[in-house]
Amino acid sequence: MYTVATKRLAQEGKNSNECGIYGGQIFDMGFGLIQVWNRVHFSHDPEEIVRKPREEHVMRKSLFASMCAIGLVAGLSTANAETIRIAEHRQARIDALKAVVPDIEKKYGVTIEVVEYPAPEKDYLTKILTELRAGNAPDIFTAPRGQDVADMASAGYFAPITSEVQAWDGYGQLFDVAKQLVTGKDGQVFVLPAMLNVQQLYYRRDILEKAGISTDQPKNWQDLLDRAKEIKTKTGAYGLLFPMGVTWGGGAFGEGFEHLVVGTSTPQLANDDGTLNLSSAGVKDALGFYAELIKNDLMPTQPLLGPEPWVVPKYEMFPAGKLAATTCGSWCYIYDWGPKSKNPIPNVTSVVGTWLIPGKDSGAYVLVDVDSAWGVSAHAANVDLAKKVMLELGSIKADIAYSQGLGNIPGRKDAAADPEFQKMTALVPVIAAVAKGKYLKTASGFSAVSEGVARATEALLRKETDAAGAQKILVDYVKETLGDEMVK
Amino acid sequence: MAAIAPAESANKGRSDLLAYATLSIISIFCAIPFFWVLLASLDGDAQLFLRWPAQWTLSNYARVFLTEDGAKWLFNSLLVVGGATLLVMILAGLGGYALSRTRASWKLPLLYAILLVRVLPPTALVVPLYKVLLTLNNVEATFLRSLFGETARPIMRWTGFIDGYLGIILVLAAMQLPLALWIMKTFFDGLPRDYEEAALMDGASLLQRIRRVLIPLALPGLTAAGLFAFMAAWGDFLLPLIFLSSPELQTLPLGLFRAFLRVNTIDYGLLAALAFIYLLPAVIAFGFARRFLVQTFAGGVKG
Amino acid sequence: MGRNLHEQRVERQLLIVLLPSLALLSAFVIYPALYSVYLSFTNEALVGPGALAPRLVGLRNYARLFNDTKFWNSLLVTFVFVLGSAVIGQFVLGLVCAMALRRPIRLRRIFSSIILLPNAAPEVVAGFMWISMLSGGEHATLSRIVAAFGVEPADWLNTFPLAMIIVVNTWRGIATAMILLTAGLSTIPSEIYEAARMDGATPQQMFRRITLPLMMPTILLYMLISAVSTIAVFGLVYALTRGGPGGATELVSIYIYNQSFAAYQLGYGAAVAVIVLIIALLLGVGYVKAMKVEI
Repeated sequence: MYTVATKRLAQEGKNSNECGIYGGQIFDMGFGLIQVWNRVHFSHDPEEIVRKPREEHVMRKSLFASMCAIGLVAGLSTANAETIRIAEHRQARIDALKAVVPDIEKKYGVTIEVVEYPAPEKDYLTKILTELRAGNAPDIFTAPRGQDVADMASAGYFAPITSEVQAWDGYGQLFDVAKQLVTGKDGQVFVLPAMLNVQQLYYRRDILEKAGISTDQPKNWQDLLDRAKEIKTKTGAYGLLFPMGVTWGGGAFGEGFEHLVVGTSTPQLANDDGTLNLSSAGVKDALGFYAELIKNDLMPTQPLLGPEPWVVPKYEMFPAGKLAATTCGSWCYIYDWGPKSKNPIPNVTSVVGTWLIPGKDSGAYVLVDVDSAWGVSAHAANVDLAKKVMLELGSIKADIAYSQGLGNIPGRKDAAADPEFQKMTALVPVIAAVAKGKYLKTASGFSAVSEGVARATEALLRKETDAAGAQKILVDYVKETLGDEMVK
Repeated sequence: MAAIAPAESANKGRSDLLAYATLSIISIFCAIPFFWVLLASLDGDAQLFLRWPAQWTLSNYARVFLTEDGAKWLFNSLLVVGGATLLVMILAGLGGYALSRTRASWKLPLLYAILLVRVLPPTALVVPLYKVLLTLNNVEATFLRSLFGETARPIMRWTGFIDGYLGIILVLAAMQLPLALWIMKTFFDGLPRDYEEAALMDGASLLQRIRRVLIPLALPGLTAAGLFAFMAAWGDFLLPLIFLSSPELQTLPLGLFRAFLRVNTIDYGLLAALAFIYLLPAVIAFGFARRFLVQTFAGGVKG
Repeated sequence: MGRNLHEQRVERQLLIVLLPSLALLSAFVIYPALYSVYLSFTNEALVGPGALAPRLVGLRNYARLFNDTKFWNSLLVTFVFVLGSAVIGQFVLGLVCAMALRRPIRLRRIFSSIILLPNAAPEVVAGFMWISMLSGGEHATLSRIVAAFGVEPADWLNTFPLAMIIVVNTWRGIATAMILLTAGLSTIPSEIYEAARMDGATPQQMFRRITLPLMMPTILLYMLISAVSTIAVFGLVYALTRGGPGGATELVSIYIYNQSFAAYQLGYGAAVAVIVLIIALLLGVGYVKAMKVEI
């Protein structure tokens, strides 16, 4: 009840632009206070609280006059800057953000407060979603992966930014795929694709060359599987890693399943009518690929069953040469195997080569997705200002700062052409691949699909079922969570 | 002790030996995991597995306080948990007394209700709890802002419900209150009413009765209740995780959680040093209050 | 007449004294709990349409529960966990310690201090300590210990997950059991033992005929308290295994967490929590019946 009343007041207050913003705010607060007082002492009927504002119109006018005076004084004496709060997590990201904050503060005359959230993605989401649910989140925050965006948008957490983004001076510079990724089917845009991540297959060129295995681009899934088997027999190392299982969180879906599905007969899962295309042959084929990997013992399984499943395979086995190929993204050169990582690989750009992801029968591509897209909270105190600040986070300087720290790719072409970015020789070739990128269009309900894929691959990992059984697990889970009518 | 026949004394000797042996084995079982924390915290190149340090150093501890915000975390933890424990002791002391002495009909259902409601895992309560605190926070913010304007923000750091000391203290206290009430009620049940009756005859009011008679008598029980509350609140990290955001308010478990998941690699030496610092107050509290524990429960378990 | 008034006044005073506690509990414990029950009848979620416009869906969450194998698995895991660690592990070891410590042996203080240590360690730290003990294959401390006895080291947390968490929780809870049982033991007057010894009773007979029956109230109280608190264990197990591998250690509390925050289904998570509450209620009723307690 109270929140309804104050919301209405806040809207009405915003319309009263006499006496400056400050007078209006104090007036709102004061009137809100009177509401509370009334409720405690006079009203016993909750419905009355909602109806009361109309009746109190007269009282409001006289109060307004006196509050106006106070507001003027207050407004003149405290020329305080507004504060915009930005949520960020992980040290590298926070450092990148802080590099551009001073410029933004100067440009708009605001104070920016960077609020630090828990680093692990799951914990970050837990906390920010709880706050969003209650309407109390910071003004600007990120959606970690593309699959999170649609669900957060349909929950009403984002303020739509369609017109602002299209009027933005960086809009023309965005890669086409970046624009397509964030535009919903009704043309609405909720997040800014400042950074992209580009994923493909990474392999140990030195190990393959030493064993005399071809390093040519695999032509299709069968070719890729055969190559992995060859690696296993000739070198004894694991041939290929695709994230699977529940403890990998969104990784099973976002760092493997997507790659496979876009290369099958059902390249998209989101139908125009809002349903999800999960019972198709393409999905089954994708799950069948995983089954083959497990059946032929081509990837390590034990670490994927425990907490932090990526640590052993990606940070230990791959550098040590016990795993020869894995899915990974542009960040891997810097974050996973670069000089500052746990087990750096010397000369990483020559030792580790890349393959495009082969389609099931033909074709080869990279998978492009938005990486931690920025959005504005629908409940921000000053939505317009927050939107302006947020767009600054898509500036060339911001893009490059994030690229340097994390290894992902700017979403705008002029940032990619910038000499600072060109210095990162490991990432430059990836820009060319962006044009060849495929992507999976996301829609509401994808968080359930992600969880369903995690469970399906977990069952495959533990050899409990086959591809058809795994598909059933996925379909059943999504049906249970979202309703039968959502799944085709 | 009565005189014991030789055969019996041999039996006794054997039983004593058995007691020694079992206690030793169980003690070793209890103590072993702690070795890693101790050794790794003093190890210059600590690893996850237990090993004798190659280089002994105190640098890990130094780093906790110098490069990381160890001092701030420690202060916050002590303030928040200490405050909650104090609050619990006061409220449970009063409330437990009332529950013990009252003859109201709703006593039994209430007691079971408050104990059993704690079975709900905190993870199920977090979202509704967040909403409650948020509402309270908004009311308070409104009120304070109309009085103090911009300085309301720093004030809210202390009195706010979300991201404020007051809120987290109240929530932690509320979580520990059920068990504490139960302990105090049981304790007072075992306390003979003679002292109170005597004070009553002397014409003492309720307040005077509480101050002069009950508090001294209740001290063992209060210590036990306070100890359990302290231990449980000290270990809680879910509630501070959800309700605290500002770096100034972070408590030790959050510092532990955060500092080591920020980067890809885990610094085990730092982790162990921080863990040890986190351990210490709990162990000290336990050691301090040990004696009162048995005394408290002896009264209660008679039925 | 006057005495009744006086009694009424006393009752009111007691109520006033109780009020702050009740206020705090109502706002922060009871109301959220009731709200959770309400949530269990909705399709509320943290993302998606369920977040924007949740609606009542009646018993659908509960119907889903009954068909969900992961739910029944979590109940089974929790049952085994409680049985193994609280009912058996902590109780037996706690009783043994309690009885052993009653003997006038030296080093009693030291022994009891060491045994109380595990309980003093905060959950997060306990989790880390046991990760060091159990994970890492042959480098794990446990592996090195059993290697001294000639046993093959294994990947403990992945091969025997449930057994391991039972061991860890037992380790954590010996102290509570010991304290409670010591208190109970101390209420048995030593004259009874003296008399029995005079009659020539063996220690086993004394235990079975004297100690156990007289300790029954304490034992039952301990069972109730430890069962209820073990059901609520979350952080310790989550830190060790996250509920894996493959749900082998997915306690009901972890299942609720995964449903509410990993799968974002708040309504469903609340429904599971309500079921847990009902189970605990049944335990409480069982206890009362067994004790025929009067408060």
